[in-house]
Amino acid sequence: MGSAAGVGFLLLSTLGYAASHPRHSGDALVRLLWCLAPLAATVQLAASSTRTDTGKRSLSALDAAGVGPGRLPMLAAFTTAVPCVLGSAAALLAFLHLRGGPDSVPFDGAAADVLSAHRPLPVGAVLLLLCIAPFAAASASAFTLRPRPARRVRGARRGDASAGSAGDREPAVPAPLRFACDDRQVPTPSGLPWGAALTAIGITVATLSRGSSEDSQRSELLPLPGTLEGSPPGVLGGWLLTALGLVLAGPGLTHLCGQLISAGRPGALRLLSGRALQEEAGSVGRPLGVLCAIGSGTLAAVEAYGAAPDDGTRVFGPLTAIGAALILCCATASALTAVAEARAARAPATTILLRLGAPRSLLRRAAALRGAVLVTVLVALTCLVGEVAALPLSRSAG
Amino acid sequence: MAAPPDDDVLWARGLHYTYDGSPALQGVTLGVREREIVSIAGSRGSGKTTLLGCLSGRLLPAGGEVWFDGVPVHTLGLGARERLRRDRFGWIGSEPELVPGLTAWENAALPLLLRGAGHRAARTAAHEWLDRLDIGDCADRRPAHLLQSQRQRVAISRALAHSPAVLFADEPTAPLHQADRLQALRTLTAAARSHGITVVLTSHDPTAASAVVGGPADRFDDSPAATLVDRTITLIDGRRTPPVATAPDPEGSAACSLSA
Repeated sequence: MGSAAGVGFLLLSTLGYAASHPRHSGDALVRLLWCLAPLAATVQLAASSTRTDTGKRSLSALDAAGVGPGRLPMLAAFTTAVPCVLGSAAALLAFLHLRGGPDSVPFDGAAADVLSAHRPLPVGAVLLLLCIAPFAAASASAFTLRPRPARRVRGARRGDASAGSAGDREPAVPAPLRFACDDRQVPTPSGLPWGAALTAIGITVATLSRGSSEDSQRSELLPLPGTLEGSPPGVLGGWLLTALGLVLAGPGLTHLCGQLISAGRPGALRLLSGRALQEEAGSVGRPLGVLCAIGSGTLAAVEAYGAAPDDGTRVFGPLTAIGAALILCCATASALTAVAEARAARAPATTILLRLGAPRSLLRRAAALRGAVLVTVLVALTCLVGEVAALPLSRSAG
Repeated sequence: MAAPPDDDVLWARGLHYTYDGSPALQGVTLGVREREIVSIAGSRGSGKTTLLGCLSGRLLPAGGEVWFDGVPVHTLGLGARERLRRDRFGWIGSEPELVPGLTAWENAALPLLLRGAGHRAARTAAHEWLDRLDIGDCADRRPAHLLQSQRQRVAISRALAHSPAVLFADEPTAPLHQADRLQALRTLTAAARSHGITVVLTSHDPTAASAVVGGPADRFDDSPAATLVDRTITLIDGRRTPPVATAPDPEGSAACSLSA
């Protein structure tokens, strides 16, 4: 709800800007495009919280009550849409209030200049913009729970039906006493090479495009919520590629951390810790990659723009701050949700381990070990990518 | 508190257990001698699994005593019971209950690793048991890539790999097909006899209610459990029935084929 409110507020501010600067339509468009980032973060949060909410526990009960897999997406979409609509309504209230509404309470019209209060806004556009966040979030929720056709596993019984391989009839007395394993490999996340390549390309593109316009002045520094005119779009593209690469590399990186932990001849602690991380790589890795990308992007932005001498124009306006805080909060919440989901998914394994007599302290230490390794690797990577991505900008600025 | 009889390695008296008020065990008394293979029979809901849980220290009985090897299990704390289960007991459930992230041999080696055994020794023991249960080829597979019957064999290997004093098997052959059942059960009991492991297993098979000591060996139509165990204890509604008395079965398939 909060994120929907934030997105709605930002969209309305953009609308206000567009209404008050009818000539700078390109500028307004770029501002609108910048709103896509918080919107994407909101959608991701909605999807991941939906996935966690409808865990395996309630599905069979709902199915028994008549809400099967076919109708479940509608339920999820509705569950997500209601708080988002409330959030949008709150955003509208806050927007009108800060802009200078009819009543006179504290902070009334406090941000009138930022929000371009002197221009009336088209009602249809306001409603349309406010509907974007709820609609996108609800669609994401429904899409997350879309019914997937059960995949047929070919050759699943190859091992113990060798006698009747023609598939015509079962043998009278099946005697599958010797098992032959088929050669299916354990799937490992495959995004790491792609992610690394994309990150490298992105950094290279950013550096090259900045280097080619070395003679340009500092005024070309990309204004954050501003226009692309006169600024190197290559830098922005490179940053986008870098972020995409980090997101892609997330699962593979998590898997690699797990492999590192359980490398060599591990005892129970390292074995359980590493294998759990490998198991969770698919679910936890992606949001962590997003968080990593956003973290490095923020770092690069702070490095580049913080280093630039300020000549009166505010680089970080209040709306930028709202957007950035929104993105960071959503990404963090998504990552935490994914961690909670992974924890819930690991609960049966934990029960089994406790039944086997594994001490609870061992399980706690295993969780702490994998958390520490993962955080260390990701923070190091974020700092590295952020620094490298900021290099071309800060060099030209200095 | 009466001391248990000397020749019983596992001994329980007057066990009571309730699940939120609904009674599961109502005063069960039994003794298991060392190296004995005892089957606990009864229909679903008769309290077999609960009895096994109480005997293995997994559940704490509301009333009664459980003694293992001169140790009062019912008075031990949580940590001591966990250590006892880890070091002296093995457990096979009706579901394989494997840790999904670990490969087959790592699952089988897990009790040894948890006891602090070396990596190499644990690996060797696990592979040995997997080979003995005919799934040595699958040692490097994850449980998700195994058939259910293979998983259950891994679970059996895991329960035997650390040579427990007592092996608790709660319907160990339930996920297996008919032909697999007999073979797996035979492997289990043979391993138990050769390693001197006491076994307490449950079976919901009504024909297993009648004890067949040293009866006909290889008959498919008979319950496999009945021919391989030393003694059968029958539970009905959380109470132990006298060995000879047969219970009236509502579905007609009375458990009274006393064919010894």
